[in-house]
Amino acid sequence: MKNSLKIFVVDNGGQWTHREWRVLRDLGVETKIIPNSVPLQEIDADGLVLSGGAARINWETLNLGKISEYLDEAKFPILGICLGHQFMALHFKGTVSPSATPEFGKMQVDIKSDSPIFKGLPRKFIAWESHNDEIQTLPKGFEITASSQNCRIQAMHHVSKPLYGLQFHPEVEDTEFGEDIFKNFVEICEKHKVRGSKHVQR
Amino acid sequence: MFNAEKFVTEETARLKGHVKGNAIIACSGGVDSTVAAAIAKEAIGDRLVTVYVDTGFMRKGESESIKRMLEKIGLNLRFVEAGDEFFEALKGVTEPEHKRKVIGEKFIRIFERIAKEEKAKYLIQGTIAPDWIESGGGARDTIKSHHNVGGLPKEVGLEIVEPLRDLYKDEVRKVAKFLNVEVHERQPFPGPGLAIRVLGDLTRENVEIAREANAIMEEELEKAHKEKKITKPWQYFAVLLPVKSVGVHGDARNYGYMIALRAVESVDGMSASYSKLPHEILDKISVRITNSLGKSVNRVVYDITNKPPGTIEFE
Repeated sequence: MKNSLKIFVVDNGGQWTHREWRVLRDLGVETKIIPNSVPLQEIDADGLVLSGGAARINWETLNLGKISEYLDEAKFPILGICLGHQFMALHFKGTVSPSATPEFGKMQVDIKSDSPIFKGLPRKFIAWESHNDEIQTLPKGFEITASSQNCRIQAMHHVSKPLYGLQFHPEVEDTEFGEDIFKNFVEICEKHKVRGSKHVQR
Repeated sequence: MFNAEKFVTEETARLKGHVKGNAIIACSGGVDSTVAAAIAKEAIGDRLVTVYVDTGFMRKGESESIKRMLEKIGLNLRFVEAGDEFFEALKGVTEPEHKRKVIGEKFIRIFERIAKEEKAKYLIQGTIAPDWIESGGGARDTIKSHHNVGGLPKEVGLEIVEPLRDLYKDEVRKVAKFLNVEVHERQPFPGPGLAIRVLGDLTRENVEIAREANAIMEEELEKAHKEKKITKPWQYFAVLLPVKSVGVHGDARNYGYMIALRAVESVDGMSASYSKLPHEILDKISVRITNSLGKSVNRVVYDITNKPPGTIEFE
């Protein structure tokens, strides 16, 4: 089953983009890193991970490659990490701006509501952070799934679409349960794919 | 999961198909370049010439022991003594990015020279993922220009081949173990060597201080590890800081430099946490450094920064 599952990593210029690729590869998923300029129709995947990046988005303009197109039209699950998470919020009319207290390195994350992405995780765990900006207001249709002391929207998901955002970095070796989070995302993509194909058969 | 055997088979075949004619491999004796050399040797045999450059920034006794190790693996070795050249090129250079670029260029000019003599068209390097990731380019910011990637000059008269490009250190170690290359447990040591462990002027005197401090740090930690007092950190070293502070030596005022000790735990070098070393060991290192280097150093500090926000090396 997993052999045929394809989850690609969209590169927004992050230091850990290649780590995301590595974790997916280690989980036995078919994966590759693609630039964020690839049109959606050329992406033959069952899920996407939007990487972080150093870009300080001009928070007024919505421009990060073709990511808006993916978020609007993709039929598969999307996991945004750091900049990918922030851009997801921005795209759906949330707001993002510089953090009052940026977080770098070790931080405790508290899970605030059940989410398939956190399945099987303890309510508190240590995650690695690296961000100057953060989501200030939640976009419509999303709910907060985790917070930290200095960052209220540490994680979010859409209430009905398979869209997930994480401010922290599950791909980093030092993050606790990081691989479990990826496993959960793989499972989400798998389920989605099965449901999709049944739908087509019907 | 990463499969070392499969990787070696595929990479050897790829190199065999790709490298036509002679090639040189830039080898520092560290785990990355030595593994790359072992794979390249497997692929192209005697057409491979291994080049080791003594930059003048190597650790105590390093060049001699590496020479022995590389010869043992059976690599056809060219040993280049280039200390004077490097010191000359780095005179007055203190800005870390500038420093790394000067070093990267110097390395390449030496490799070009040797390649010409050996009639080689290819330069094989042990570049691994963090080297090109941190060097930046495109959408990615430059954290530090690794000498073998971002530190390269614009024009290089050789085709660069990088068999380990997609691997991290822990994976390279697995390959080393599979190939039975004895370096697999060696701690990472950056290509620019002690040049990036001396902040400020790169004089021979300053480099000697850093060399001695690094030797003490390594000896003490390796001893403590042998005595089972600690698990060996992923990387451990000493840095000479260009900052002076006041001390007291034999009832007299002293004004000397500072050594920062750093030891970190990591898997892949892309994130790290500082090692919680026992005070007893830190104490021993501090006493040894301030005594044996007392003429120049009167203070030792321990770096308690994780990555991020810090990087592992200081520059």
